Amino acid sequence: MKKRTMKVLALFLSVLMIFGMLTACKTKEPKETPTTGQEANKPEEEKPTEPAEEEAPSEDEKEQAENELPREETLYFAGQQWGAVVGWNVLGDGNNNSMALAASGSGSRTIMFETLYMYNMLDASYTPLLADGPYIWNDDMTEMTVKIKSAAKWSDGTPVTADDVAYTFETNAKIENNQGLAFAPYIESVTAVDPQTVLIKAKLDDSGKPVNPLQVQQFIVQVYIGQKAWIETVETRNNNDATAIKNDVAEDVVYSGPYHKYFADDTKVVYVRDDNYWGKDASMWGKLPVPKYLAHAIYSDNAAAQVAFEAGEVDVDQQFINNVQDLWEKKGLPISTYMAEAPYGICVNMPTAWYNLDNPALQNAAIRKAIAIAVDYDKINANAMTGQSPTFEQVPRSCMNPTDGEQATFNHDAVKDLQWVGNDIDGAKKLLDDAGIKDTDGDGIRELDGKKLSFIAACPDGWSDWQASIEIVAAAGKNIGIEITTQYPDANTFQSTVTSAKQTDYDIFMMWTESASPTQPWGRVRNLMSSEFNGKDNNWSGNYGHYSNDRIQELLKKIPAETDEAKLKDYYTECVEIYLTDIPSFSLMYRPDKFHAVNESVWTGFPEAGDGLNIPPLDCTDGYGIAALYNLTLVQ
Amino acid sequence: MKNTIRQVFHSSKFVVGFAIFAAVLLLIIIYPLLYPGDPLEMIGLGSFFKPGTYVSVYDAIDTESGTMKLPDANAKRIANKLSEEDREAMKVWLVAAGVSEEEIDTGDTDRLLALWKEKYDPSIKPKGMVMAERNYYKRLNKNLEGALNASEITVSEKDPESGEMTEGKTISDTDYVNTKDVANKVTLPLGTDNFGRDVLKELVSATKTSLFIGLIAGVIATFIGLSLGLLAGYIGGWADDFIMFVTNLFTVIPGFVLLILISYAIGQEQRGPAVVALVIGATSWPWTTRSVRSQVISLRNRDHVNLSKLSGHSLIRIILTDILPYIASYVVMALILQISSAILAEAQLSMIGLGPSTTKDATLGLMMSWAMLYSAHLNGSWWAYFPVLLIIALISFSLNLMNTGLDQVFNPTLRD
Repeated sequence: MKKRTMKVLALFLSVLMIFGMLTACKTKEPKETPTTGQEANKPEEEKPTEPAEEEAPSEDEKEQAENELPREETLYFAGQQWGAVVGWNVLGDGNNNSMALAASGSGSRTIMFETLYMYNMLDASYTPLLADGPYIWNDDMTEMTVKIKSAAKWSDGTPVTADDVAYTFETNAKIENNQGLAFAPYIESVTAVDPQTVLIKAKLDDSGKPVNPLQVQQFIVQVYIGQKAWIETVETRNNNDATAIKNDVAEDVVYSGPYHKYFADDTKVVYVRDDNYWGKDASMWGKLPVPKYLAHAIYSDNAAAQVAFEAGEVDVDQQFINNVQDLWEKKGLPISTYMAEAPYGICVNMPTAWYNLDNPALQNAAIRKAIAIAVDYDKINANAMTGQSPTFEQVPRSCMNPTDGEQATFNHDAVKDLQWVGNDIDGAKKLLDDAGIKDTDGDGIRELDGKKLSFIAACPDGWSDWQASIEIVAAAGKNIGIEITTQYPDANTFQSTVTSAKQTDYDIFMMWTESASPTQPWGRVRNLMSSEFNGKDNNWSGNYGHYSNDRIQELLKKIPAETDEAKLKDYYTECVEIYLTDIPSFSLMYRPDKFHAVNESVWTGFPEAGDGLNIPPLDCTDGYGIAALYNLTLVQ
Repeated sequence: MKNTIRQVFHSSKFVVGFAIFAAVLLLIIIYPLLYPGDPLEMIGLGSFFKPGTYVSVYDAIDTESGTMKLPDANAKRIANKLSEEDREAMKVWLVAAGVSEEEIDTGDTDRLLALWKEKYDPSIKPKGMVMAERNYYKRLNKNLEGALNASEITVSEKDPESGEMTEGKTISDTDYVNTKDVANKVTLPLGTDNFGRDVLKELVSATKTSLFIGLIAGVIATFIGLSLGLLAGYIGGWADDFIMFVTNLFTVIPGFVLLILISYAIGQEQRGPAVVALVIGATSWPWTTRSVRSQVISLRNRDHVNLSKLSGHSLIRIILTDILPYIASYVVMALILQISSAILAEAQLSMIGLGPSTTKDATLGLMMSWAMLYSAHLNGSWWAYFPVLLIIALISFSLNLMNTGLDQVFNPTLRD
């Protein structure tokens, strides 16, 4: 070979190598950082089934969507929909249709299907949607009456009636879909007193008290109402087979919300406004939502979505962006979050490291406590969350999230001595030494009963902030003589493992807790510690480490029906005491239920802290957050 | 031998490659001696601190200061707080707030600031101004507070018990401290990564690990490849058929897929650098075997080999003394390429999370992996990934260059 050719080749090869590295970086798939909260809680959303044949849009529709949507009439989203939409079935569980069908305790997404009330996590208020006026409990909280708005109409023009509400509940319970399974244990019946009046009877325990009135309140903000006539059609065409009904793709579904299907394939999903939407009636919004189209492109990963968001192709972004303030401070982009200063959002979730209590070594409370107090939480906040969380000094740990409402439910002074802020290496070492857990063979790792203390810490691959947190937990282990190795399985493997009745794969693992919802903080106490989930497979409800404590079960039973504030406070304080003493798990950070960053290149008028509108930053779609869609204006 | 080495060092390509490689080696040997410390220590609270020297503000306050009157100190101070764009932006706001355009002179800082102080109200929402812009003005306003009032700054101490503030030192705008006198300062030539670790220290340690992995994996791969190639080529017959059958099997299965599967099966706990090196070495030998075999076949019927056979020398002796020396130059070159590709393989493995674990060892691939996870490429933190790329490129480049140089020396057809 000639010398020159060799030189050129050498140069070419080095360039190729660098590009090779770069492309290698790209093929890595940092999938969706978790949408915390209950929406992602639903197992079915993680496992979309194959799209059915009739899903293919007609030629005409396709042509329309391929022609660019008018930018000034379209609100673009990112970070909600991953993978192609499967169905539109209000009764189904596997729709993988996150914009239209995302029932959640902190407020369901109501662009296509509607709930009776809209929950507002900012002040725990209920705004009537299909309902008319406030709900009314009877004195012993066994029956709730809800009126239906006379203006409320289905997309086919027929009025929404109490019968629809009753029939939806009955069908959910009958076919045992997620919403049915969630509420059937707490609701005896939903009946129509007259076309405008719904009577919800709570299930009663042996002593004649309601099992859990909080869950009834949850029902009215979470469950989508379907049309009785349409449900009957679906039942008939599927011969009343529960599985077939749940899997029906429901292209013909009747809805009551302001948007419906316009176009969907594996690149994007678009919803178009129904200009006959009943909500323009003065008894509801008095107008139509501003954007004519809601569109969500399906991105391959977080980085791709972030690039589009920075370029102004996405208006509302629901994903964790590290150092989000750089977008406006350094890059000068017209991007904002709900709050202009850290933590930038309303942190209502508490991603938590759970101990697998099936591991004998972790049944030792000293080891659990030692790891928990050795972890450097400030570092997790600063480096993993890049400051988008209040610190544990600002909001000392408990079972409650940082909102004022939840913080007021327990006695702070009583648990003060139990709370820790972390990075207490000496304390942790002393604790282990005192418990006789020492390194006897000189390898730097302590032993318990002659067995080396070695644990596996895990979280899903690609969830960058969680991975970094787990690494910081592992670093804490290294500092106190406990070997903690990290593992990042893919999200499906991880979640199916930690939700199983028993697992030995991971010793410490990260999962979210419940966010803000009507049942909180009772729901989160149950989520963190209730042994009712033990021994159950496919348990997405909580206590993934399989802790059990009889006193907690007693308290969980007492709290929902208790109306005496002082007593409630005592109960909650006791829950926190038990949680911080036994440490079945430890929260690593506070985190928003939904990330909410907006790019004001095209649209403006998004909710912001202190604007007096009291609209929660839930991506303009969830719970009362949907009110934001009515306030948007185009940038001038 | 001496002659060969002299010849090798005459090749300019080899020398350049060798120099680069030696420089990298020197760096990883000397740097840790000069700046000892745990390369994985997470020192920074906050991610991606940019390169530079960080001086403790706390200590600087207590450090003895001297007074200096620099002529352009004030101008610099203002420029740092108030750029040209900021001035223009202030004008836009003031106009929106109803000040006539003639009244505003963006060049006159004092008047501009006075006007700003008088007119700015964060609660006003000028028409057509989006939230991001209003937030920008709020930040600007905050930043301007205290700029330009030449009064001294007083540092007070807060009594932790009573919460009372006691006045401490006062600092004037003409006070300077010598950075040498400040007790605590740290120079981060390549800033920090997402965990707040010193990137240069980590990079040096990672290069060491990667070279170690490369070397071990290269030696293992070359050893396996060489032994099998020699046996297959020299013995021939069924041994050749069998070895080539196995080799072909390994050639058909893409090596990287095999590597991923084995690494995954081993599990994170066992995956230290040595094990990763072993796995890489054990999967990358086939092509060495093939080429060694073909070379040996061309050698085995040479006269000196036949003579050895006739003299009754053992198989091992013939292979070691009569065949190996003839392909030694080739083997050295193969080793170099194996090292180079093993380093790349480790980087790729770590990128997909199948390398050594983050808290135990620094490797080049892990550094890249975390930089990507924390989108360093999107937020402009070049120091977190570019030096890593550069080192990988340099090592591969130098090794390949040395290889080409050797090739030129040993292959007569390539000689000038």
